[in-house]
Amino acid sequence: MASIALNNLVKEFGETRVLHSIDLDIKDGEFVVFVGPSGCGKSTTLRMVAGLESVSSGEIRIGDREVSGLAPKDRGISMVFQDYALYPHMTVRKNLGFGLKVSGTPAAEITQKVDEAAKMLGLEQLLDRKPKQLSGGQRQRVAMGRAIVRSPEVYLFDEPLSNLDAKLRTQMRSEIKRLHKKVRNTIIYVTHDQIEAMTMADRIVVMRGGHIEQVGTPSELFKSPANVFVATFIGSPPMAMVDGEIVTDGASPMFQAVNGPLLPIPARLRDKVKVGQKVFYGIRSDSFSPVGHSLPRAGEVHQMSCTVDHVEPLGAETLISVALGTSTVLSKMFNPSEVDIDETRAFELELDGCYLFDKGTEQSLDL
Amino acid sequence: MNDIYKPPLWPMVLIGVVSLIWVLPLIGIIMTSIRPEGETLKGWWNIEEFTLTLEAWREVWVNYPLWDALWNSIKIAGLSSLGSILLAPMGAYAFAFLNFPGKKVTFLLLVNAFVIPNQILIIPLFTLWRNVGLIDNIFSVIIPFVALSMAWAVFLVRNYLVDFPRSLIDAAHIDGCGHVRTFWSVVLPNALTPMAAVGILQFMWTWNSLMLPMLFLRENIPLPVLLTKIKGTYEPNWDQVAVATIITSVIPLLIFLYFQKYFAAGASNQSGQKG
Repeated sequence: MASIALNNLVKEFGETRVLHSIDLDIKDGEFVVFVGPSGCGKSTTLRMVAGLESVSSGEIRIGDREVSGLAPKDRGISMVFQDYALYPHMTVRKNLGFGLKVSGTPAAEITQKVDEAAKMLGLEQLLDRKPKQLSGGQRQRVAMGRAIVRSPEVYLFDEPLSNLDAKLRTQMRSEIKRLHKKVRNTIIYVTHDQIEAMTMADRIVVMRGGHIEQVGTPSELFKSPANVFVATFIGSPPMAMVDGEIVTDGASPMFQAVNGPLLPIPARLRDKVKVGQKVFYGIRSDSFSPVGHSLPRAGEVHQMSCTVDHVEPLGAETLISVALGTSTVLSKMFNPSEVDIDETRAFELELDGCYLFDKGTEQSLDL
Repeated sequence: MNDIYKPPLWPMVLIGVVSLIWVLPLIGIIMTSIRPEGETLKGWWNIEEFTLTLEAWREVWVNYPLWDALWNSIKIAGLSSLGSILLAPMGAYAFAFLNFPGKKVTFLLLVNAFVIPNQILIIPLFTLWRNVGLIDNIFSVIIPFVALSMAWAVFLVRNYLVDFPRSLIDAAHIDGCGHVRTFWSVVLPNALTPMAAVGILQFMWTWNSLMLPMLFLRENIPLPVLLTKIKGTYEPNWDQVAVATIITSVIPLLIFLYFQKYFAAGASNQSGQKG
């Protein structure tokens, strides 16, 4: 059983509190990704689970054991580091077997386990090389092999792909996912890259400033972000936030953008707004397209005329920058054709794909 | 040679002149050792009469316990260096990676010990060794050498370790190493550069050291002390002194020539790291 529970976890460095009472339950075998900007506390949380950082208060449970007082080797965890942390003076074989050697495993068993891990990761040819003779991707695989060899209950990954180029990163992402399918262990994976989070996670934990902002599947976070931070953090390109307030045209509430157009409110939110409330109107680029160049829309659509500010052709799509009041909104043009700057065009906005967030609390009005 | 850029000649000339100044005493010593004393008394550069002879070399070999002194020098310098090489990294590891009460104060005290002149320690140390019975034992000299070196050696190694990748220590902890094992298996094999620097410096300083060996040793004297004896009460014996000087200088010179690559500033840590 390798479920993980974090209860009221707090971390202070001297006077500074960097983790504010984190509560999280991770199921056995789950691939959980901690994501957030630099300094949000994701690496600190991971290191506390690993035993590399002490716990200021709260508890960490791995399986049904309370482990916050235990040394890393007694917790049943293995860790893969951002800079691989391979022992430079040892061969790959020795690197892989070092943990087992320290724990007193007999030599024959070490050889067997090392060979197994090497085979799983395609490292057989490299066993007698030293880390400096390996490429970045090879080093990363050795780091993973070192973690596998110890047969842990939980794997911890600390931004392992940050130092690889884009192509290698894509390749390694699928290797790690494949590893998860094979070993079926609980994995906690820390990254600042939301694309990594979205493509790999069973569930994502979005963190900011030492707090958990939202926990959910990639789909949940994308479709139902709890607040402005999660909404703009998840999804690429990021959701645009249009500044404005709720007004009424007599009959129903509308959204008045600051120095900008009047927009209708998505049907599901019409009862949840108050006239005079200052809000952000959240628009994802896939929900906002030039007329004739959009996805088939099932729900309510609002047409409007906008002036093109900036154009970014991406090949299969074009991103068009449009000013709505004081905010810039990105529009995705599917099946792109020529677009000129300062051109005025008809755009359509799919209302069901839009969101409202209270300006003061930054919470989604869907909640 | 490319016409576009020709390096100026004057730096070469300047370096040549400066090098000559350094090399001149060496030439002088060699000259003094292979010419009869009578000729060199007027200055070794004197070429009024010029005869070459190995008489001085033979004299020194026969009359003085050169081999014994050489062996003592090797033992003293060797063991002192070994002691510093092993102990300094241990202290440095503690100061770099461990947290203990009074760490900052202890470190400050340790490094400030560097300013204490060794002369202050002579009398208390002599009394101690005499009471313990270590006079004329090479350890009466080795122990102070190692202890006194800690001031700069720990500082040197610690500054190197501060740049040591923290993740390697973390990886070792996760692999199950306590601090001792981490030090021995992970840090030490990758700290060869500062260890070599400590070793070379300590070797050279202890090899040439005169004061403590002269005071604490009687029969088991190293080469520098022997040198003072060769000088003689009635005659200066410059030619024989020159011979003994050459022998005393050769070994550290060879050691330095062989190990000088470890002094390379910013010698990079061959790494299992990303960069």
